[in-house]
Amino acid sequence: MNELRKVLFRDDQETTSMPIVISSRIRLARNLKGYKFPRHSTRMELSRVAETCKSILLGCKLLKDPKIFAIDSLSATERCALVEAHLCSIELSKSEFGAGLLVANGNSSAVMFNEEDHLRLQIFRQDLDFKTMWLRISEFDDYIAHSTNIAYDANFGFLTSCPTNVGTGMRSSVMLHLPGLVITSQVNVVINAVQKLGFVVRGLFGEGTSASGSIFQISNQYTLGLSEIDIISRLYQVIISVIANEELARKWLLKNKSLAVCDNIGRSFGALSWSHTMGSEEAISHLSNMRLAVDYGFLPQAWRAGLDCLLVNVQPSHIQLANDKQLSTEERNIQRATAIRKFFEKMPSLKF
Amino acid sequence: MKKCQFCGKPATVHLTQVINSEMQNVDLCDECAAKHGLFEQSGSPLSVLAALGEAMFGTTNQNLAVNGLICSNCGCTPTIFKESGRLGCENCYKDLRPLIEKIIENSQKGVKHLGKQLANCTSEGNGNAEREAPAPQKHICKNHKCACKHDHKHDLGSLKSELERAIAEERYEDAAVLRDKIKKYSN
Ligand SMILES: [Zn+2]
Ligand SMILES: [Zn+2]
Repeated sequence: MNELRKVLFRDDQETTSMPIVISSRIRLARNLKGYKFPRHSTRMELSRVAETCKSILLGCKLLKDPKIFAIDSLSATERCALVEAHLCSIELSKSEFGAGLLVANGNSSAVMFNEEDHLRLQIFRQDLDFKTMWLRISEFDDYIAHSTNIAYDANFGFLTSCPTNVGTGMRSSVMLHLPGLVITSQVNVVINAVQKLGFVVRGLFGEGTSASGSIFQISNQYTLGLSEIDIISRLYQVIISVIANEELARKWLLKNKSLAVCDNIGRSFGALSWSHTMGSEEAISHLSNMRLAVDYGFLPQAWRAGLDCLLVNVQPSHIQLANDKQLSTEERNIQRATAIRKFFEKMPSLKF
Repeated sequence: MKKCQFCGKPATVHLTQVINSEMQNVDLCDECAAKHGLFEQSGSPLSVLAALGEAMFGTTNQNLAVNGLICSNCGCTPTIFKESGRLGCENCYKDLRPLIEKIIENSQKGVKHLGKQLANCTSEGNGNAEREAPAPQKHICKNHKCACKHDHKHDLGSLKSELERAIAEERYEDAAVLRDKIKKYSN
């Protein structure tokens, strides 16, 4: 098993998980002083920036067990798999010379270099503890600033290649599982309200009520004119109120539509347990129903983290990478169903 | 079904953006959204809007005397920025300032950075030197004699006025730290 597969298919999977919240992230954009931004750089500049970034990062004691991947050394499938695992942006996955990704601390830290900005530091968690995330990433950021000169302006703050990121350079986001709001057709109302407050919402697999999997990412739109703590606490307030709305919708559903809810969950359980071929969109929507079943208490809580992991592992590039030979779509659907059946063999039955 | 505003395919991504307190709706297909960096998790709706061109925020740009601007360091111009949605270098923030200010006014909460400052030397002595990469040529900050790579310009004068302010504002812990620093750098 090569290094990349070790990162993608970890055996020491995260065991913490909570209802509704899938994961949280803070990302900081930083640029090295004296170099053009990556999209305007020559190969020479890109390679000098990459070397500088690598030597700084590898000397950082805050990064345990770091692994560095040069993007142009990865196949298209490998790049897509990193995007599926949310470790790498689409932009980075499409970059070539000089672009790289560092993954460390059991996938809870990742650094993209020579993406749109020279450095993008990222930190992930499976809960909403933004305070801890901020302290950790800020300490990491201080280390970077003490190791090299950073492009900074007293007025504009941290300078980034797109002025929509300037200032704090910070993007904080939460991935939420909102089937209650989707089923009750309230999700678009909630999305509009959240957007008016200055946050960006996007569906992970599709948009609005048609988002399969009912998974949405909410992140801050503004990076300048607010402090990091302000941005984080506003985001937190918004997330808490979205969660409260989702909880209400779930309670309403169980009280007023319990037949439909249980029927849906039961059918998904059957399909996941017994199908012999399954497309990724279908798998996503059934797995989303299983996460809801865990939150409702129909399945043991301990299975939630495993379901989250499976949701990533059934994505097309993950299925391809788990197999040695090149697969067609039909073959992938068979492999996907097989992997899911195997997972569900050990799953206790639903208790409504 | 709404159509993608770039290529006319069925739109799957619907974006609402407030520009100059006006709501703008943008509809895109997956491909175009990805092409304009929308799925790239920064969610930078501005580059999408920028790419939509004059039609969408023409009024914004016509009012601007940005046509003659060019960055003396990288050659980036407002046109290049509009096409790519990216600036060329840190100096663009100086040379293309009227453009930057307009963009910031339209897309940000404020015009002044209120977040953390570029890391200064306050953390000296708590292990930063040890944590540093084994850099071949070790730079020593002239003013603070710490191992960080900047030459921090905390001259004695500004430290003394900071101290006065701290005392006036009754921030005695800060004052104590400043007093120690002044003592250290006076030698
Ligand atoms: Zn399109
Ligand atoms: Zn420039």
